[in-house]
Parts: sequence; structure tokens; C-alpha cells
Amino acid sequence: MTLGRILHLQRLSTEDGPGIRTTVFFKGCPLRCAWCHNPESISPKPQTQWFAVRCIGCNTCLEACPNHCLSRGADGLHIDRQRCEGCGKCAQACPAGALELLGRTVSSEELLRELLKDRAYYEASGGGVTLSGGEPTLQPDFAKALLRGLKENGISTALDTCGLCSEQTLDRLLPYTDLVLFDIKLLDPAAHRRFTGASNERILSNLLHILDFIRRAERPPALWIRTPLIPAATDSDENLRAIGSYLAEHLDGAVSRWELCAFNNLCRDQYTRLGLEWDYAGLPLMTAEELARCEQAAKSSGLRPDLVLATGATRAPQLVESES
Amino acid sequence: MATCTLEKPRYAVKTPYNLSPRIQWLRDYYFQGVRRAWNNEYTSWTTGTPWDFQYNELSFYIVPETYAFLQTFRSAFRQTARRVHLHPDFWKWSLPERRAWFNYQVMVNYLPKEILPGDLLAGARFNVQTSCCLNRGEARQRDRQIYGPKGARAAMLWFHNHGYGNAGATSGHLIPDYARVLREGWKSIHADLERRYQALSPAERRGKKGGQLRAMMTAATMPRDLAAAYARECARLAESESDPVRRAELLQMAANLQRVPWEPAETFWEAVQSLWLTHMLVMADENYPGPGDSFGRLDQYLYPYWQASIRAGMDPEFGKEILKCFWIHCNTAYDGMIRTGGNQGITAGYGQLFTLSGMGPGGRDMSNDLTYVLLDVIDEMSPILEPKPNVRLHRNSPDKLLDRVVEMIASSQGSPFLLNFDERSMAGMLREARKAGLQHLINEDNVHDYAPVGCLENTMVGNDRSGTVDANLNLLKAVELALTGGYDLIPFTDPMTGQTEKPVRWSEATGDPTRFETWEQFWEAYAAQTRHIVRRIVELYEQSEAGRARFHPTPYLSCLVRGCAEKGMDITEGGAEINFVTIEAVTFATTVDSLLAVKYLVYDEKVCTMAELIQALKDNWVGHEVLQARALHKAPKYGRDDDAADEMARRVMELWAEETWKYKTRSTNRQFRPGMLSWNYWVADSFILPASPDGRPRGKFLSNALCPSNGADINGPTANVNSVGKALGGKARDGQADWQDYVNLLPNGGSHTMTFNPSLLRDPEHRAKFKAFLRGYIENGGTALQINMVDADILRDAQKHPENYRHLLVRVTGYNAYFTSIGRELQNEIIARESHQMR
Repeated sequence: MTLGRILHLQRLSTEDGPGIRTTVFFKGCPLRCAWCHNPESISPKPQTQWFAVRCIGCNTCLEACPNHCLSRGADGLHIDRQRCEGCGKCAQACPAGALELLGRTVSSEELLRELLKDRAYYEASGGGVTLSGGEPTLQPDFAKALLRGLKENGISTALDTCGLCSEQTLDRLLPYTDLVLFDIKLLDPAAHRRFTGASNERILSNLLHILDFIRRAERPPALWIRTPLIPAATDSDENLRAIGSYLAEHLDGAVSRWELCAFNNLCRDQYTRLGLEWDYAGLPLMTAEELARCEQAAKSSGLRPDLVLATGATRAPQLVESES
Repeated sequence: MATCTLEKPRYAVKTPYNLSPRIQWLRDYYFQGVRRAWNNEYTSWTTGTPWDFQYNELSFYIVPETYAFLQTFRSAFRQTARRVHLHPDFWKWSLPERRAWFNYQVMVNYLPKEILPGDLLAGARFNVQTSCCLNRGEARQRDRQIYGPKGARAAMLWFHNHGYGNAGATSGHLIPDYARVLREGWKSIHADLERRYQALSPAERRGKKGGQLRAMMTAATMPRDLAAAYARECARLAESESDPVRRAELLQMAANLQRVPWEPAETFWEAVQSLWLTHMLVMADENYPGPGDSFGRLDQYLYPYWQASIRAGMDPEFGKEILKCFWIHCNTAYDGMIRTGGNQGITAGYGQLFTLSGMGPGGRDMSNDLTYVLLDVIDEMSPILEPKPNVRLHRNSPDKLLDRVVEMIASSQGSPFLLNFDERSMAGMLREARKAGLQHLINEDNVHDYAPVGCLENTMVGNDRSGTVDANLNLLKAVELALTGGYDLIPFTDPMTGQTEKPVRWSEATGDPTRFETWEQFWEAYAAQTRHIVRRIVELYEQSEAGRARFHPTPYLSCLVRGCAEKGMDITEGGAEINFVTIEAVTFATTVDSLLAVKYLVYDEKVCTMAELIQALKDNWVGHEVLQARALHKAPKYGRDDDAADEMARRVMELWAEETWKYKTRSTNRQFRPGMLSWNYWVADSFILPASPDGRPRGKFLSNALCPSNGADINGPTANVNSVGKALGGKARDGQADWQDYVNLLPNGGSHTMTFNPSLLRDPEHRAKFKAFLRGYIENGGTALQINMVDADILRDAQKHPENYRHLLVRVTGYNAYFTSIGRELQNEIIARESHQMR
């Protein structure tokens, strides 16, 4: 039995590969991207979060916490995150589901049973299961057990990765992977270090390693590249053209899609709930024009333009004043 | 920015398109409502006797909103009734003969015949309240059965007030054998009746059978003579018509009407004319506009006429024009009570349902050119309430059909049709055949010919009345009775006198639940109470069924349902070959979740004692908020694809469904069968039923039909669908299943509504994914699905600016409603429904 720590499952997922999929969000990530859209997935440890709107103010949780990390102030519940060990006792005790433990430990067998429940939809749509996160390669044994189990059951698999892992890990996972969703955020190593906390050298060498596998494998996985469009970080014409020409030069014929994913600010509340500041909290969605400009830059980068796909919500052209 | 001069609607709402000036005029004219020169509002007709009346309230016992007006309607129609001069022998005839003759007189000789400018079909006035034609003795006897202290009305009110639900023998909800009329003409039906009558012995002719067949023969001449009258009107209009094109149309209409519906139809125009006149007279015969009087597989039986006319040179656009006139005519059903307010008093669809596509022999798909023509007509005419389309899908449905279906869903708010799923539906039909010993009528070879009526209720065609909204039972009442050992949890208080009933044990003494030591003991009490409430609704229904069978024959409709002529028996007496009464269970998910909550709170986790739980419910959860939160948020729920919770759902389903098979009506020998429709009762009855263990306080809506409770389906749409399929019995190995590997505990089918965010259909790639979702539904889901494609923002805007959204249709349950015409409570309910996002 292989155990792993995941955040949650997203069923009927339509944005993480072809067809209808279930996406498994792993907990824990080696990068620290300034714009991270899933802050709850960064730490590999369980974390507690509190939803003000669900709280009925019964204070059951205060008693439940063995470390006395919880207190209630005028502005709601306070979690002492220095002392919180993520034991989950408060979430268990909370009658209203206002306290949640992020990160549950689950066996690969149990998770597999859940994932197989949507087989009919995978089969009808050419979909399957995507391992995402966080970073699935941080839990290689668990990821491998899942991918292998899915393949044994005839389910198509996808691995959504930031690319920062060992070659050995990739070698263990790729034989059970039908599609690799590979993130390239920035091509310039210094900028990459500045925005994500790590250089991209290993990431790019892993990409070439995957390419090597694709060239050798009997049934090679498909490869999609994904680039988040972050204003003033990744969305410059320069960066997009650099990534595109890199792909054209090194991965010609191996890449079947390059997705540009527009910046999204829906995770704002998630930062607040985790007691974190977010540099991008005040940033609005991109305009349709900005998104089109990025798409254009990518399409003129040297990679086949029909492989470029820009996705994501954009700002409404005229904001309608909300009525009081 | 410059200031806005006019506030435009913020969201585009589906509007009609590609309408010719003729259809645009007819549609606009229709929506003028009471400002039209004449309309199809009820006219009332009397024999002139002092005891005469028209309004048969039994048909309305399933509409609690009308209870306060039953006497008003009866009086109003009586006071405004016009006299019909009776035949000298009238009172010597049997009741069916009187009724057939009287309706013939009203329809053929008394009502005006009118044709609207440009209209291509005749047949305008059919909303009538005709005399029940009772003699003095019959009237007195009926009054005793209905109004006495132990009469049907008092029993019905008691049942409703105590939260059990409602029941009454109502009209329609069947598919008459229209295909036969087109194929053979009324001539052949009449000749067949004549033959059967001639074959009777003299004693039989003098008896009941003879009277019934004579009544049916009279009724069978009504369409012929009414068509002749309309033919004369068309000819008269043609004479004074100066436009040669219109003149030719009127002359052709006159020619059509001289042939059909008496003769078999030959052209498409004749077929649609024959269908309309035959159909509208069913509504006249039953004195009820369009209550689930359904057309069945329109694209199948109209197809030969379509092909013939196309081959003969008919422009397909003209064929669509005929169909669009048919659409307008169907909507005039709503004229019945046209003066009752905004949107002409229309809130819900009446349910003149027609069916498109679906399986044929050997699993073959039956889509044809006319299927797509009819889909175009739906798209071009919508939003409009009638007729109501239903598209049948199955494993072999072609991509072309699904593409069109998804495209139409994408451009509408409440999808313009309901989807029916053949495999699961057919499994249910075969189950009922097995349960009722009807394999000679429903079997592997013909089950694909089934079609839904009303909203989504599956029946066979032309020989089947299954009483699909006749009995509506709140399963939750059994939980309440198990918690009290047979008493009402909160005694009924009469709203007029303010008097509260003394506690009475109405039901089985299942014991004091605070003494139960195990969950299984509680389950046994629940099971006993379920047996009780099913028996109770069967008994209630019997009263109105017997009343209708004795006093309210419908000889015209009986001509159109196989079995009646053969048996010489009216359809109201059980004349149809296939006779079921469907008990439609309401509150399913609330019941399942309540049982799950009792098990979780009291027995598994021991969060509280049974006594504490009961007290919390008596207090409507006030002062017990922590326990209520646990019930709401911690207890398991149906709708999450949680196998343990869904097994409880299946167990609840099996228990009550099996119970229904134990009963038949005494007066008419109709077998009860299970289904889940729950019309709008889950809204209104939520104010009657007290707080429930799932955390719901009184007044918070109950669950709708087969759907999970609002907001319970936290694992998304696929999990929701999988739970629904499992509750119906899921799949089993061949041989243990009802059809192929499908099980379906509900032959009638169950209503399942889902709301999606429009963004998920934003591009071809996502539309393909939605198509695949529907294919997944075929494998894992229920019998019928209704889709709302709205986000909450549109609805909130529509609440603020109803004037901008008069035509915004949303699916409620099995029917569409104009969002701005429904009550605030239901509006809020629809907004609160979890909007499923595909992310």
C-alpha cells in the first residue's frame, strides 16, 4: 500500500488535458512562484483554514485544539500557525465545516477506486486522470502507484509537472504516462530564479530528457507545454518568443500543444484564509487585447502557430457598476 | 462617459428567429393575450337542470393551489353556462351517451368556428367546461361521494394538511393513438366500433357495453362534422379573399378538412391538420387544456407524410410553416384562464409533449430528416411553452444529433427540450411488464416504442394510461412517523380558527424511538411507516378514481386508446390495455439524507440522543444550531457518489417502490407503479412538513424528484449523475438486470435537473466535452435530464429588472417556466441551486 498526501479531486475537469478528466491535486511543491494560483498546495504539510461565511460561532474548535492554537477576536477566528501542527482535530470537531484541513493522507488503492468512478465519462470523451498539484513528482512512489494502477485499468493518464525533479523520477513515471503537461514559465534562468525561487536549468534539461524518452519509447506520451501569463513577469513578448523559439528549435515535432493560461485572481481569498500576503492580490484580470497580444507573440515565435492556444477568463470590456 | 439614456439588458436571452411574416404575426398576436379579438378561454355549457354543474374538481386534487377555489370555480362556470337544447331522449340515454352527444353539440353546433389571418390550420376553440350531464339521482349520489364528511374532498384536504402529499384522478397524461387516425382515419375507428356493436347480443346492447359503444360512435363522428364546419368557414373566407395566394391556401385548407381527419391523411399538411383537430378534441372531451396530452414520436409517425409531400414538391420551408402554426395552436391551451394575470396566468408548461429520435428495433437509431426539421422549428420558435419537446438519446445516437442538441442547449437558458435516456427507461418499462404480467404488451420487441408523457413519465403509446401525476407521496412523512411512533411531530393547526388538533396516532404504532438500541430498529420503524403511507395514498386515490369512473366518462378519448372499444369500456373505467396509476414520490433526497443523519448522529457517531434529535426537530432547530450544523455538514448525503450513502438511497428506493406493486385500484383494477416527478410540490409542501433530521428547517425547500438535496452534490456533476443512477438500481450483470445490464426501479422514470454555467459550452472543444458528458449520462445516469444553462448573475439581474427578461425560460422540474412569472421563493430557490462549473 502506498500512501500519499493530496488536497482534493476535481471531477469533470475540462482544463487539464483532453476530454473529461479527474484531476488529483498533490500537496507540496518545490517552486515558490510569486503568482502561485494554488497557495494551499505549496507546503507538503497539512494546513488548517477557516471559512468565515460557514462559521456559526459555536467555538467548539477552541476546545478541540490540543495545542491551543485557536482564539477568537473581533475579526473572527485566529490560527496560530507557528504552533499549529495540522493534526486536524479542530476540523473534525467543527460542526459547520468552517474549519478545513488541507491535505489528507490517502492510499493509492482507495484513491484509485474514486478515480475509476468516472470511467464512463473518460471513455466517452477521450479523457482520463491528470496528476497535478502542487507537484506530483515530489511523491514519486505514490504517483507511480496511481499511474500504474490507472493504466492497468485502461484509463488514460496525464502528468502535470513543473519539471523540477530528478531524471530517475521521470524515468519511473513516464512509462505509465500518456500525456505530459510541462510548465515553462520563463526562459531566462535569472528571471526564473527571481520569480520562482529556483533556476530553470534542471527544468529545461528534464524537458530534453522527456524528449529523449519520447523519441525512444514504443508508445510515447504526448507533450503539451503550458505557460502561465503573469503580467510583468511572464507575459512579455520577449519571454513568449524566447520560449516559442526554444520549443521550435529543440522540441520540433514532439510538442502537440502550447497553452497560454491567463492570469487569474480567484485564489485571493485562499491566500487570506492561509494568513498569507499575495503580491498579485490587487491585480485585475488581463484584458482580451492583452491576451490576444500574448497569443500573437507566441504564434510568431517560430513554433507552429496552430499549436498555440490561449485560455482563461479576461476582464469584461466595460465594468458595470454594481448596484447597491 | 456619457450617461446612459436607456438601460439595456445586461445579458442576451434566447429569442425567436427566421419567422416568416405570417408566423411572426401569429406569434405576436398570440402574446397580445386578452387584447386579441377572440380567444380560447373557457366557455361553459349546461343541460339547464338546477343540479347541473361543469367543473370536475377531482381533476384538480393534485393542484393544492386550487383547493381554496374549488367551490368558486364550480359556481363561476355554473353561473356563466349557456344552455344546450337537449335531444328529447337525452335523459333516457346512458351517461356516456349523454356526455358524448352533449360535447358533440357544443363543439360542432354551438361554438363559433374561426380562422386567424394567415393560419394554415383550423381548430381554434377547445377550452370548454361542458355539463357533466348527470341526472338528479346521479348528481345527488356524486355529491355524497365527493362532499360528504367522509367524501373525497375532505379526505384529500386531510391528507394534504397532514403532509402526506396529494392524490386525484386527473386528466390527460397519455399518448392517444394519433398515428392510427393519420393512417386509417376516423372512418375506420367508427367502422370498427360499429362492427363491435353489431356483434353484441341484444342484452349486451341494452346494457352498459352497448351504451358505451354507442357513445363512442357518436364521439367518433365529432371530428368529421367539426372538420366539415371548418371547411365551410375556409371556403367562405376564400370567397371574400382578394390575395390570390391566401385564397389558394384557404381553398386548400377547405379541401384538407373535407377529407381529414375522417379519411386517412395523404399529405403532410393533411396529417398535421388531422393531428391537431383530433388532439384538440381530447382536451375538449376532458374539459382540461393540455394536461400531458402528449403526441408521442412525432418525427416517426409524421415522417411518411413529410416524405410524400417533399417528393410531391412541397417546399420544406412551407412544411415548417405548417408546423409553426401547429406550435401556435398548442399554446392556445393557455387561454383557458387568460384573465388571471401576467403572462396570461401562465407559469408552468401544460405538457403537450412530443418525442424526437430514439432507438428502434435492434438498437438502431431512428433519427430522420424530420427529426432535424422539428429541432429547427423548436429552435426558431423558442422560447415558447408548447408543445414540449423531448429528445431521446441512447448509445447509438449519432454525433450529428448530439451536436445539434448541445448547440441548442448552448444558445438557450432553460434547454428547449428535455433529454430522455432510452436504455434506463426501457429497463423500467420491462420491469413493469414483468411486475404486472404484461409481457404480451411490453417486451424486448416493442419496448423501444415507448415515449414519455407530460414532463418525462414513460409510457407505451396508444394503449396506455398510467396516471402519471395522480398520486404524489411525500416519503419524508414516513421518517416523521417513525420518529413519533405514528403521530404528527407537530399537530395540525387550522389557519382559519387557529385551533390545534389533539395528538392522535394516525398510523402504525412502531414504538418509542428513544428506546431503540440499534439503527436497524429505526429502519424497521421507517419501513413500517413507509408501508403505511403507501397504503394510505392508495386508499385516498381510490375515492377519486371511483368517482371519476362512475361519473366522468370520456367517450371521445376512449376511441383513441386501444382496449376501450375491445372491452366496451370507458378509459376512465380502466378500458386501456395498459392501466397503471403512478405514485410519484416526492422528497426522495431529503428522506435519504434524513435517514443518513439519524444513523450518523444517533447511532454511528452518537453525537446526540434520539430524544435530543426529536426535541430539536420540534423546536425547528432553534436553540440546537450546533446539532443542526452537524446534520447539515457532517452527516453523509446522497448525491456525492459515496457508495455507502447511495446504498441507503437504493434501499429507500427499493422499499417504497416494491410497496407500490402490492396494490391495484378496487374500482378500476389499475396496478400502482412507482415514479418520481414531484412537479412543484417540493416547494409548497416544505411549509407543511416539519423540520427534518437532515438539518432542514420547516419552510426550506424539500428535495426535487430524484435530485440530490440542494448544495449536497459537492463532488460535481458526474458524482451527482452516478448517485442518481445508483439510486435507480444501477447496473447488474445481464440476466439480473431489467434490460441488458440496466436496472430501473422506477418504470415511470424520475426527474433530474442540473444547472450548469454557460461558460462550459464556450467553444467547440468544450461543447465536445459536454457531448461526452451526455454519453456518460447514458451509461451511468437516470431516465431523464433537464438542463439549465444560466449563471446566478443573469437571474439576479432578471429579479431586479423583470421587464428585460419577460421571455427568460428556466427549467423547474420537468417543465419550463417564465422566470419572471414565478414566485420570489421559487426564484430564489433557482438562484441558489448549485451552478455546476466545469473547470
